[in-house]
Amino acid sequence: MIRIRRRDTAAVAALGSLVLVLFWLFGELGFLETVVAIATIAALSTFYYLTVSTTINPAVGNQALRARDGDEVDEAQRAKVMLENLPNPVLLIGAGGRIEIANPAAREFLGLEAVTGHLSAVLRQPQVLEAVSAALRGQTVAPVEYSIMAPVESHVRAHVAPLASRRDPSMPWRAMLVLSDETSIKRADRMRADFLANASHELRTPLASLAGFIETLRGHAKDDPDARDRFLAIMFDQTERMQRLINDLLSLSRVEMDEHVPPNGTADLGAIIDDVVDVLRPQISEKSIELDLQVEPALAIGDRDQLLEVVMNLVENAVKYSGAGSTVEIRLSGHLGRDQAERPGLTLGPEASRLTLAAPASEPGDHFVAIRIRDGGQGIERRNLPRLSERFYRVDGQKSGPREGTGLGLAIVKHIITRHRGGFTVESRPGAGSIFSVFLPMPESSRKNPD
Amino acid sequence: MALSRTAHIVTAYGEELDQLSDDLARMGGLVETQLEKSISAVVRRDASIKADIKAREVQVNALQVDIEKRVLRLFALRQPLATDLRMTISALKIATDLERIGDLAKNIAYRAGDLAGYAPMALTQQVERLGAIVIKQLSEVLDALSSADVEPAVRVWHSDDEVDERYNTLVREMLMSMTEDSGLVGPGVHILFVAKNLERIGDHATNIAEAVHFMVTASPLVEDGPH
Repeated sequence: MIRIRRRDTAAVAALGSLVLVLFWLFGELGFLETVVAIATIAALSTFYYLTVSTTINPAVGNQALRARDGDEVDEAQRAKVMLENLPNPVLLIGAGGRIEIANPAAREFLGLEAVTGHLSAVLRQPQVLEAVSAALRGQTVAPVEYSIMAPVESHVRAHVAPLASRRDPSMPWRAMLVLSDETSIKRADRMRADFLANASHELRTPLASLAGFIETLRGHAKDDPDARDRFLAIMFDQTERMQRLINDLLSLSRVEMDEHVPPNGTADLGAIIDDVVDVLRPQISEKSIELDLQVEPALAIGDRDQLLEVVMNLVENAVKYSGAGSTVEIRLSGHLGRDQAERPGLTLGPEASRLTLAAPASEPGDHFVAIRIRDGGQGIERRNLPRLSERFYRVDGQKSGPREGTGLGLAIVKHIITRHRGGFTVESRPGAGSIFSVFLPMPESSRKNPD
Repeated sequence: MALSRTAHIVTAYGEELDQLSDDLARMGGLVETQLEKSISAVVRRDASIKADIKAREVQVNALQVDIEKRVLRLFALRQPLATDLRMTISALKIATDLERIGDLAKNIAYRAGDLAGYAPMALTQQVERLGAIVIKQLSEVLDALSSADVEPAVRVWHSDDEVDERYNTLVREMLMSMTEDSGLVGPGVHILFVAKNLERIGDHATNIAEAVHFMVTASPLVEDGPH
């Protein structure tokens, strides 16, 4: 910019001097006048040039000069490509809070379609907007944290930095805004706190009832054999419940501990299903539930005890939540491709909602064996599906009674399946029941010669 | 180098309208944050946020005055027509509703201070859930305003029933636990007021939805209404 001013000034001054010299040559002007006039023009141009060069920041001129160089252009291009590929949302905010540059990550994060517009239209957080305004005044600001509760809860940290602008001297500052999503950190932290609170709450309830009965037995029920027997039976139930909970907690922590160690060995899923059905026979006949078994022999890579726990938890749930006299279906099928394993042949119709609770990173050509268990229960509403594998989560209305589950079963299933590089899906329709499916990789040997 | 782009008359007009929606979005963001903070304060029984809420309240009021000034200026100098006219009028209405929501959020925050003196109650969970729905309503309607999108606005308008339903359930349950345990009457009354305020905020969100609908489509939002 300054180079243009200098050239223009020099050109005008030279032209003026040339005209004056011509006048002198043709004898219109005296020599002295001409020299004085040229000197005046030269002085004026120098003065003008100096004025211009001091009002415009000299650094700006130098930068603009250097940006012409091929290397610099290359550099700018490279920086642009890097920005485009950056996974973090980065925005450049210009005067008045207008978005000037938003990289693709930022566009996706904020749901921006066009780059133009005010930042406040997509990010309403007052702290961020205040920080941006401060940066536009050239102040440095500390990072701000903000949380959004709707439509999905998210926690974000925003770093705002002022950038000196080269182009427009009247608006010398721009603000760079970098967002980092810290939702998972916050969520993990809260889950830990929730877990402790829930676990102690679940243990406290049976403990309080035990303490109450012991007090009564020591007090006025001391010499009442009938009451004593009844109380002891209840107390036994409560201790069993605590035991179950502690067993589940222990097994959950065991599973979590070696979640990253892949299992070796194979397990016969057909035999496991038979064992589970034998164990649960009393509950099944008590509710006169009809069992529909379609089991083809299939092996899976895995730890037999853990897979038994998976099948036990799923079938036990199915029996527990099925109405009396309804049917529970269990299907075991092998040699399935990834798609067949994930998309069940057994479905509840198009209105049913599906959710994958765990999915493996499989290679094409992997074969899976799938177990599907369909219950005759009430079904689960779509909004409750994502929380099913959360610890201690129970779908609305299910209270933790002495005969009910610990709320840890599906969490254990999920962790075991993840360790086995398998998948876990649920499909449900209110009124039509639910299907829980797990699929596991088949061993190489049984793949070659399927029996 | 000649005339600055913004010096052009029409561009300046557009700029002023832009500024107006920027102010509205800022105000919406402030009010939204206020509401989130005060609900979480009630849940945690945290009395310490009063000062912060008060400071935000001052900002919200200043923005409302600012928006009114801008609207007056627009009317006086530009005589807006069609979409611009509807946008200006709606901005005025929405600013009023937002200011009311800010007031109600402030009341909720004050109740959090009162609740801090009592033992925690199981029913605060229900307040949290009601609050979550109301926050969602407000955030959706503000998104609709920013993107001038009718569809989410209509959705918010229809889902006001859900807020009312939750509110009625909460009141019923609160009354029941209050009759069972008279110790709950003190904190229970505060909870009831909080719930009432949340329900009012839901109504204001519906008003904003109506204003957004009118702004975009030029027709009022009436069918089988939420009331």
